[in-house]
Amino acid sequence: MTVMPVVKPEISTKVSVRNLDFFYGDSRALKNINIALHTNKVTAFIGPSGCGKSTLLRVLNRMYDLYPKQRAQGEVWLDGENILDPRVDVNLLRSRVGMVFQKPTPFPMSIYDNIAFGIRLYEKLSRSALDARVEEALRCAALWEEVKDKLHMSGLGLSGGQQQRLCIARSVAVQPEVILLDEPCSALDPISTAKVEELIDELSERYTIAIVTHNMQQAVRVSDFTAFMYLGELAEFGETDNVFTAPREKKTQDYITGRFG
Amino acid sequence: MSDHTVKAYDRDLETLGRRIAEMGGIAEKMLTEAMDALAAFDVALAQRVVLTDPRLDALQREIEESAILTIARRQPLAVDLRECIAAIRISGDLERVGDLAKNIAKRTVKIVGEARVPRAIIGLKSMHDVAALQLKDALDAYAQRDVERARAVWSNDVELDALEDSVFRDLLTFMMEDPRNISFCTHLLFCSKNLERIGDHTTNIAETVVYLVTGESMPTERPKTRVAGSGMDTPADAPH
Repeated sequence: MTVMPVVKPEISTKVSVRNLDFFYGDSRALKNINIALHTNKVTAFIGPSGCGKSTLLRVLNRMYDLYPKQRAQGEVWLDGENILDPRVDVNLLRSRVGMVFQKPTPFPMSIYDNIAFGIRLYEKLSRSALDARVEEALRCAALWEEVKDKLHMSGLGLSGGQQQRLCIARSVAVQPEVILLDEPCSALDPISTAKVEELIDELSERYTIAIVTHNMQQAVRVSDFTAFMYLGELAEFGETDNVFTAPREKKTQDYITGRFG
Repeated sequence: MSDHTVKAYDRDLETLGRRIAEMGGIAEKMLTEAMDALAAFDVALAQRVVLTDPRLDALQREIEESAILTIARRQPLAVDLRECIAAIRISGDLERVGDLAKNIAKRTVKIVGEARVPRAIIGLKSMHDVAALQLKDALDAYAQRDVERARAVWSNDVELDALEDSVFRDLLTFMMEDPRNISFCTHLLFCSKNLERIGDHTTNIAETVVYLVTGESMPTERPKTRVAGSGMDTPADAPH
């Protein structure tokens, strides 16, 4: 009996990080990172506090630019463009690479304006076209049914889980290519967490997603690939199923099984 | 392997390992005593083997429950997850070994009144010795997480299959020599089948040990040397 080899569908690369170093002042927080985020796949970043996973995420949309003493060295290729190049339009970059933070950050505006704000920055749309985009974004974030009758209510009046989904809707409204999630469920109850995880499943069909999480089981559930980081280095990278059932590195195994420290 | 930060987690896994060792010890004893009872036509010993089986069944249920609770409580990953799965699999194989030994013992009770063919027992004794050693090695491989030892058990299964073939031929010969031998030898035929099945379960245990330590599965095709025309079962109905 011959066994047919499993043929994997073509995996393409959306973001390619090459020889990346990162410095907070004189302190090197990321050391020679080389990693690829595959298109329309979810990549989880795990590791102990201070390992550099959030730092890495913030390089991917140049958030560190906002702070004077932080700098990146190396290359980050988004499709055919090195986004670390000083000539890149960072505002445009941040619409292509969206970010959702651990603590929900709705603008102090109506739900409608929270979504429309970003769209208005980049596009001139008629009222009806804008309405349609806002609805699409809220549907995408599984929030439309809950807020469709109160779009003019302040975003701050929503529950924590709803606010987080509002932030996700805000990211997808500007039609990004990559979505970065930094511990998006840490502040949420189990039901909201489940809704966000379901959302991640759906979003990954259209977007490339990177998620930082402290929750091992969440990483197993939502991601296709997992990167384990330790002291600023990429210690292990692989398909999530393999990393969590039979990791190559002892450090990875010690961390995910709770044998660290 | 360093300790878990949560000590109770270590204790959960250690308990699984200890119970498997206990089950293994009982299964080994049942196998040897069943063979001793058969060789000596010792009905009392045979009946003691039969009475031991419920303890093995109870242990298997306890181990499964412990593994399931550990999975629910700890959501184990990597090697810890494989430990839980291994405990469930191995306890199932050991429970079957116990059942097969019990069946051998029950046959001893049945054949005590039959015309005996002592020569026929010799082949079975050889089969038992190989099966018992395989079982011991498989259990030692588990206890020491020894991959090489487990792979050796996996490879040696072919020896037991070859012995079964020759026992089959011998028993046929005895039956053809004298029809009065038929009943006795038919019972022994079943016993030889049971011993071969015990060997297969020890091979399962060995495969599980390899999976436990490396995370990899052994090849699905086991080494088999079936002699043409021996009338033995094809690989398709070889148990896994």
